[in-house]
Amino acid sequence: MAVSKSVIVFHTLLPEFEYFRPKTLQEALELLDKYQGDAKVMAGGTGLLFFMRLRWMQAKYVIDIKGIKELHTIKYEEGKGLTVGATVTLSELFENEIVKNKYPILWDGIRQLADMHIRNRATLVGNLCFGMPSADTAPALLTLKAKLNVVSVNGTRTIELKDFFKGEGKTALKPNEMVTSVFIPEPPEGAKGRYLKFVRTADDGPIMGIAVLVANPRDPAKRIVRIAFSNVVSTPIIIDEVEELFKQDKPLGELAEEAIKLIKSKVTPKSDVRGSRELREHLMEYGTRYLLKTLIEG
Amino acid sequence: MAEKLIPITLKVNGREYKVEVKPNETLLFVLRNKLNIKSVKGSCYRGECGVCTVLLNGKPVKSCLVLAVEADGAEITTLEGLAPFGTLAPIQKAFLEHGAFQCGFCTSGFILTAHWLLTHNPDATEEEIKEAISGLICRCTGYKQIIEAIKAAAKYYKQDKQKQ
Ligand SMILES: Cc1cc2nc3c(=O)[nH]c(=O)nc-3n(C[C@H](O)[C@H](O)[C@H](O)COP(=O)(O)OP(=O)(O)OC[C@H]3O[C@@H](n4cnc5c(N)ncnc54)[C@H](O)[C@@H]3O)c2cc1C
Ligand code: FES
Ligand code: FES
Repeated sequence: MAVSKSVIVFHTLLPEFEYFRPKTLQEALELLDKYQGDAKVMAGGTGLLFFMRLRWMQAKYVIDIKGIKELHTIKYEEGKGLTVGATVTLSELFENEIVKNKYPILWDGIRQLADMHIRNRATLVGNLCFGMPSADTAPALLTLKAKLNVVSVNGTRTIELKDFFKGEGKTALKPNEMVTSVFIPEPPEGAKGRYLKFVRTADDGPIMGIAVLVANPRDPAKRIVRIAFSNVVSTPIIIDEVEELFKQDKPLGELAEEAIKLIKSKVTPKSDVRGSRELREHLMEYGTRYLLKTLIEG
Repeated sequence: MAEKLIPITLKVNGREYKVEVKPNETLLFVLRNKLNIKSVKGSCYRGECGVCTVLLNGKPVKSCLVLAVEADGAEITTLEGLAPFGTLAPIQKAFLEHGAFQCGFCTSGFILTAHWLLTHNPDATEEEIKEAISGLICRCTGYKQIIEAIKAAAKYYKQDKQKQ
């Protein structure tokens, strides 16, 4: 199953598989249960088909969920949050006024994900289920404390996004489970946020990314600061202790430096072709300081 | 596993085609090899270069990452669809006038994307033009002439909008 990614064999054709396009969720779940690990859910297919062509992912059965109408919904409840169905594309979210105005940190992540052509197909839920450490929407959603609604023939459950990622390409989903939607709670009152992605060239995969969310920076009692990263370790991560640290009644500059120290003590970045551990360490420090400064002062 | 053929209907440039496809055949493959529409090119086959761009239900997508079966019943526009009677569309003329291609391999993807952009936003800024074509690679021109051609064509799309 596991194929070394250091060897790229050029295939112009996809491997053979059987294709299903269920019209109801129940039908999809029964197929998933029947074929277990031999089946893969397909939303936009931009991750799945890409990896299948490279033989980095295998599926005997592809279950296309785009025919299931109930999965194509965006629902916003003021004060509660936003629910994004599994087949909603990133372009649809990018053009959505609620996302743009209420969830700018997520909008910023979507803006930097691939390109318009890919975003016209790719979904938000697919970006998370793909399980890549570099998932560009994950850091923003971690700072927003998103949850995934998961179903199988056995019933439903909710998984906190921070417990969802289990290593490169791996998630907490069981082979017969799928995600129906992601729930993104209403951001804290007065929250601002940005996602900063570092790349070698515009069309390369990322070195890493940082999302910083800041609310009420000047008021220690109401201050909320959350920081999450993509592609520094084998999963997207949020550094939970940062939020606690910023509750202290100290000058913001001092807290920022303490936060950077804390992050460095908690995270040992990986080294790969896109960047060494030292480079990622430097970018974590630089990016955190830069985003905190811009969000607090700007 | 014996792959069964699936009958699908594609509406390409206004014309309906009935064709049988294998599940693992991409829209790119079927357009080129079964419908003989050769303006759609293939190069990276994994979503990175954009030479396989078509408009799928009106939106630019990379057809190497779309299965043909997924497109059953969909409307597809390829470059040929912009000049149905052999008369070049303004965006095509602008590419000619501005020398916006050399080998031409990427051109269909750029023109379809520009056509989509200007139809929806004839006032697109240079930034928005760059954003729209950021998923497309041209190895010859250096992009400058392409951006100039798109800017120049915008006036025709504005006139069209005013007429409506
Ligand atoms: C050229 C190119 C550039 C890219 N650039 C970026 C980038 O800059 N940043 C980035 O983060 N990603 C990037 N990607 C990866 C990919 O496009 C995104 O991760 C995208 O959001 C995946 O969504 P999708 O709907 O296409 O998922 P799919 O390809 O349909 O699925 C991806 C995986 O998730 C599973 N899955 C999908 N939906 C569900 C569900 N509802 N329940 C359970 N499992 C599910 C599938 O089985 C599969 O394993 C790029 C891909 C390409 C081809
Ligand atoms: S061939 Fe489709 S993007 Fe390169
Ligand atoms: S004109 Fe040759 S690649 Fe663009």
